[in-house]
Amino acid sequence: MTTKEILKKVRKIEIKTKRLSDHIFGGEYHSSFKGRGMTFSEVRPYAYGDDVRNIDWNVTARYRTPFVKVFEEERELTMLLAVDISRSEWFGTKTDLKKNMITEIVATLAFSAIQNNDKVGLVLFSNEIELFIPPAKGRTHVLRIIRELVDFHPKKNGTDISNTLKFVYNILKKKAIVFLISDFMDKDYDQTLKIVGRKHDLTGIKVFDPMEKDMPDLGLVLLEDLETGKKKYVDTSNKQIRRVHNATFLKRDDYFKKSFQQAGAGVIRISTQESYIKKLLQYFKQRS
Amino acid sequence: MKGIFEHFEFLNPYYLILLGIVPVLAVWIYINRYNQNAKMLYSNVADFGGFKTIKNKILPLLSLAVLLAISASIIGLARPRSVSVTAKTKKTKGIDIMLAIDVSASMLARDLKPNRLEALKKTAINFIKRRPNDRFGVVLYAGEAFTQVPITSDHRIVMQAVRKINFNQLFNTLDQGTAIGMGLATAINRLKDSKAKSKVVILMTDGVNNTGEIDPLTALELAKQFGIKVYTIGIGTNGYAPTPVALDSRGGFIYRNAKVEIDEKLLQKIADETGGKYFRATDNYELNKIYKSIDKLEKTEIKETKYYNYKELYRPWVLASVLLMFIVGLLRYTWLKSFI
Repeated sequence: MTTKEILKKVRKIEIKTKRLSDHIFGGEYHSSFKGRGMTFSEVRPYAYGDDVRNIDWNVTARYRTPFVKVFEEERELTMLLAVDISRSEWFGTKTDLKKNMITEIVATLAFSAIQNNDKVGLVLFSNEIELFIPPAKGRTHVLRIIRELVDFHPKKNGTDISNTLKFVYNILKKKAIVFLISDFMDKDYDQTLKIVGRKHDLTGIKVFDPMEKDMPDLGLVLLEDLETGKKKYVDTSNKQIRRVHNATFLKRDDYFKKSFQQAGAGVIRISTQESYIKKLLQYFKQRS
Repeated sequence: MKGIFEHFEFLNPYYLILLGIVPVLAVWIYINRYNQNAKMLYSNVADFGGFKTIKNKILPLLSLAVLLAISASIIGLARPRSVSVTAKTKKTKGIDIMLAIDVSASMLARDLKPNRLEALKKTAINFIKRRPNDRFGVVLYAGEAFTQVPITSDHRIVMQAVRKINFNQLFNTLDQGTAIGMGLATAINRLKDSKAKSKVVILMTDGVNNTGEIDPLTALELAKQFGIKVYTIGIGTNGYAPTPVALDSRGGFIYRNAKVEIDEKLLQKIADETGGKYFRATDNYELNKIYKSIDKLEKTEIKETKYYNYKELYRPWVLASVLLMFIVGLLRYTWLKSFI
């Protein structure tokens, strides 16, 4: 992909997702990730034009001159997007690859956060941490995040969620909104998830392709594993094989759901043939 | 003579060199076993488990079938065929051989085992057996000569006649002595009207011409005139041999060591002048050798016509090849079909 193409794509994503975050998500996002609003900072003498509702009557009574309470807006939230860029994301049989869908979701979330004056950070991971962009504010920052998503070439192919969670835990000192976006083709991450979930506002977004759930009868198909590169002829006409395939998917899905729920984290599952907007909206509404 | 020899051959054996491609191809197919079909990139192949169906097992067999089909067609290309040869030997007119056998009393001498006559009979029969295309006749002589068997192609009769030579019987009917000239002349007489290409007398004796109306030299002249080759065999060891010298009261022989006297000069002369050869047999082994060398010297031309019947065998190979290819194609596009 040339720089021009990348920029074009980034721009396209920006337009598409920014509109979404402006018009649809703005409010929902804002209300679902509430800070504590305004916190009391100090009192100062009343000046002309101050809102009379903010007068601290106790202090005024004591000093016999009017004082008003000064509030400080609570510090902005930090949003960290941990995105799986392992090779297995390069799969998609419906409208788009999982990877592209993830990019759009991330862009939407990032723009929503910017809209809300939150800081956005990015972690790209495979079976190791591939890239970390520290949380920051601003449109250009978000655009950089999207550009990295579109044109990043991972060094490794696998998926290691536990490792990523440890990294996230280590870099975030304060409570943050963490989105973990992956196909969750991994296991044994429930313990680390619990630890991260205790500290942060964690949401797992699982993106999958319908074919990963239900393999249609394609005859004897030569499959190449995206992550391991192993090739294998699979008889997809065989019912038993399809059943095993489906069961494996469901088992993993179940593990994903259970682990997140146990960690007190939210779960969004999006199939590549569905509209992710609806799913996100639904999730935010349900939270608020 | 009719013989059927069946064997297997390739008309174009050089095509079989192409079979060398097959292992190379096998290796190539093995290396590219995953590159021949369209493949689908999938996120997690392990999800399907390690279960293998019949199709998985049959799939590699297809490659094997292709290799077999190629091999079979190469073999078919080399055109295998079985050849059955029907050989018909034309009986060319062989040579006529007269055996002139000395049956004088001295033939009972025991320097050859059991005696000269018996040893001679045995080797003569072997000789006849070995020459199926020739005609034989037998002349026996002592003091006088007579034809035991005229020239005939019926070897059974000749051999029987030789086997039945019985000294005692002859002893009573024939004059005693050794009439080499008579024996030779009688043999020549039997051969002179023969139309055979080559006429041969094998003259066997163990003594010196001492009786008879025809001188050996006269007989020699006759042989020369009729173009008859005479092989002469002198039988008897060098020096002394137990020889019957007298009859006892019961009619049995009394054996004494007597000096072996063979007119070698005469025999040599007869052989040389007729184009034959003189041999001296001092024992059984030597006698046998002589017959063998005569056998070699007198070659009979045998015309043999061979009929080759070829049976082409490429059909099953080609058929197998086509069938295998058909099955492979059929399976690949039906049962083992991939929809990607």
